Amino acid sequence: MTISRRVFVKSGGLALFSLGLDPLFLARAAFAVRPSAGPPDRRILVCLFQRGAVDGLNMIVPHGDPLYYRERPRIAVPQHDVVDLDGHFGLHPRLAALQPLWNNGSLAAIHAIGSPDSTRSHFDAQDYMESGTPGAKATPDGWLNRYCQHDREHQNTPFRAVAFGPQLPRILAGSAPSLAIDDLQAFGLRAPQPAARDRLTRAFQELYAGSATGLLSTSSQEAFEAVQMLKQVNPGQYQPANGADYPRGRFGTAMMQIAQLIKAEVGLQVAFADVTGWDTHVNQGSSAGQLAARLAEFGQALAAFAQDLGDKLRDVVVLTMSEFGRTVRENGNSGTDHGHATAMLVLGGPVNGGKMLGKWPGLDPANRFEGRDVAVTTDFRDLFAEILARHLGATDLATIFPGFSPDPARFPGAIRI
Amino acid sequence: MKIWAVASLCGALGASPLMGASAQAPLLTPRDSALHALNRLAYGPRPGEVDRVAAAGVMQWIDRQLSPDKIADAALAKRERQFKILEYDTGDLAAMYVDAQRERRERQREATAAPDSMTRKPDPGGPAEQRGRRFAGELQELAVVRATLSERQLYEVMVDFWINHFNVFLAKGADRFLTPSYIEATIRPRALGRFADLLVATAQSPAMLFYLDNWESVAPGSTPPQAMRLRARPLFGRAPQFGRPPLFDPGRDPMRADSQRQRALERMPKGINENYARELLELHTLGAEGGYTQQDVIDVARIFTGWSIRRPQQGGDFEFHEWAHDYGEKVLMGVTFPAGHGRDEGVRLLKLLANHPATMHHVSRQLCQRFVNDDPPDGCVDDAVAAWKRTEGDIREVLRAIFTSPEFWAAPNVRAKIKTPLEFVVSAARALSADPDTTPRLAQVVARLGEPLYLHVAPDGYPEREEAWVNSGALLDRMNAAVALAAGRLPGVAVSIDSIVPASADPARLIAAVDAQLLGGTMSENTKAVIRRQISDISDPLQACALAIGLAIGGPEFQRQ
Repeated sequence: MTISRRVFVKSGGLALFSLGLDPLFLARAAFAVRPSAGPPDRRILVCLFQRGAVDGLNMIVPHGDPLYYRERPRIAVPQHDVVDLDGHFGLHPRLAALQPLWNNGSLAAIHAIGSPDSTRSHFDAQDYMESGTPGAKATPDGWLNRYCQHDREHQNTPFRAVAFGPQLPRILAGSAPSLAIDDLQAFGLRAPQPAARDRLTRAFQELYAGSATGLLSTSSQEAFEAVQMLKQVNPGQYQPANGADYPRGRFGTAMMQIAQLIKAEVGLQVAFADVTGWDTHVNQGSSAGQLAARLAEFGQALAAFAQDLGDKLRDVVVLTMSEFGRTVRENGNSGTDHGHATAMLVLGGPVNGGKMLGKWPGLDPANRFEGRDVAVTTDFRDLFAEILARHLGATDLATIFPGFSPDPARFPGAIRI
Repeated sequence: MKIWAVASLCGALGASPLMGASAQAPLLTPRDSALHALNRLAYGPRPGEVDRVAAAGVMQWIDRQLSPDKIADAALAKRERQFKILEYDTGDLAAMYVDAQRERRERQREATAAPDSMTRKPDPGGPAEQRGRRFAGELQELAVVRATLSERQLYEVMVDFWINHFNVFLAKGADRFLTPSYIEATIRPRALGRFADLLVATAQSPAMLFYLDNWESVAPGSTPPQAMRLRARPLFGRAPQFGRPPLFDPGRDPMRADSQRQRALERMPKGINENYARELLELHTLGAEGGYTQQDVIDVARIFTGWSIRRPQQGGDFEFHEWAHDYGEKVLMGVTFPAGHGRDEGVRLLKLLANHPATMHHVSRQLCQRFVNDDPPDGCVDDAVAAWKRTEGDIREVLRAIFTSPEFWAAPNVRAKIKTPLEFVVSAARALSADPDTTPRLAQVVARLGEPLYLHVAPDGYPEREEAWVNSGALLDRMNAAVALAAGRLPGVAVSIDSIVPASADPARLIAAVDAQLLGGTMSENTKAVIRRQISDISDPLQACALAIGLAIGGPEFQRQ
């Protein structure tokens, strides 16, 4: 199959180009001709988006700062509940499942990270964090997709970049092929019985193999290869390893399916999933309550993922992100409003873990952003760029983050060198 | 240009376009050109339509499509009356939005009292919240139903074009209730009018003002009247009411009242917001290469300070706030806007932008991308720009220029475009004479294929290029949708397979009919052979028919237009 595509591009593709046909189609076709032989590139990045702006201050609690307790009389996490990390910061008690990962050095947290853009709109801030170009709305593609465009040496597989959800998110939009999978078990042609399903799959495969041209041809080949590979993986029969217990619900299922794809060695390099419910304007709670429930699900899914992967975690980095943080001071409804900087987690074998990263600006009103929010001391692109460079081996960071000059001197040091 | 002269003459005479095209491409037969026009100016042919258009003359059909007011559309009008969403005005919808927000706040408040559980069941919300979701689904389905059933096909295609050109995001706060009137009152009445009118209408539409944040763009240092009153209030007390409803209800707790007052003051806009100004220049008018600078963006934003909206409780209409307007002098691309002007200078600017050469080129190019090729040839863009200049941006004439340009009919551009998910679903529904009801089934299929309507987050609208739509997952989804639709498995979407071919037909007749009705006779030998093999051992004729149609719609030929 690889050979036929190579022949296609050599003979047909260049001819098409001279006819003035879409060069982007050729760019996509070029992805398809990389040899699939050779050792698989095993390093994997999993990006998780906490949509709705997580309250970083109650996720990674600055329990050593009296101002934290003064500003949040009703919602602060009491010191005796916090899972201490370094004497000043600690995990929310419902994230206790992550403590062993901190202790064994595979979990780091970074505070005061965010966007140089001051917007407090979820919509704009998520857009900027996914396009990787704060302040510039018209960027057509996402930074994860630009990474895939830039690094074409990766082995050829339809599962290279996968988003778990009904639609491809902005972060993976762009000319490099990527898959949106709502549910691994339902991926492919749907039919009541396996035999009917196989027959329908074969019929469409023949249709496309014989009549499709251009992008329809390369994409359909990728599709049927993916269906074939998944059939061997048999996602319906999956049993998590090492007693890993994923929480029920969308997010736990997504994490389990990511682990499944990693273990199936189908060439997954970049995975993405959403986890929602962080916009806690009203009654967010402290050690228990609304936010605590979301954090419990979040922490247990991450812990189960690490446990399930076991040794394989050595090649995996999980990066969590959220569009902005929340106000230092609690509001009149025992909640928090849209703020500026937040906290992110980095988890995995290659992580320089067991420590807090970044520069903590403190909660003193004089050091706050616009007098009210945690100031940004780390541009999120510095962390993202470090992970792309030191974990996945990206070299041309300036094309992945246009308008930004990534500088190793500013990397927060999330990945062991 | 000679070719242009020939082509426009053809158009004027209502003759065949084939003469013009013959200069550079093999001749299209009358059926081929009818199919091409139906694929581009319409959402694909219904059964028998290729023959009808070919017989009447494709240029006459195009001419009629350019005057939608003269086309009767009774069947659609009857179906539209079943959509409840059309019965409410923005004031009604705003009131419902306020109710839904109150319900949501109350639900969040109650959530704290409840113990936290591991698995959060998705809460459907109260009646107002559920009604909001139902209306959103109706709004999306209405677009699909209109595209499927309307006789005014080109008009519906252009509505979709402008909805994307002037994109708003249905799920962004107040746009939940502002979008219906944006579609009905701002875009639809002007879809084939003058570009300048459309531009002014979108600029002062509440949906756009909210979506691109201009409603809170104020001259630095300006103070809203509400803020004056807030500051004037004594601590721990209520100030007398001045007719307007309060920004918040202070309640009984004085501490809480002060904290809320503080928040309300903090939330007051404090300066200009450049968001709308930037997208106006980059996307709506001049284009990214339009030759403007960051300083131009700032001055455009200053010109639009004070273009705002009323609060939802007051209906959310457009409102110009004099107190927020920057009355200083501005200069845009060398044109001076003297000091002392209010709302009028914004209108002056929009009219200037609407017929700027960069705008003519940018928008004409996008139209050619939609109608001719993802990478539009220069010739048709030039023809469109010439018509724009001649008619000061009469959209109808710009379109006529494109449809009479030789490039539109040139062989390399025929079947050169991949259908968007909306075009794929609607063309399949039309091919099957589907009659969708008001339930959002078809809109949900469009969403599953990657194009949830009115829900494109970024201001550039859904893309027109094939690489945005063709990927392995999306193709499998199209195959599944095709099989489900042909098998009649989509409730609420009655399809009529009989209108294509009687179920009693033998395999050869069945395949010939599917080829003729669904693919305009363009089915490849390979596709015919595959379908013949697949239906050979199916004894139930109805099942064989559904499978043949499902394979044809999910197959490669039907993805093109």
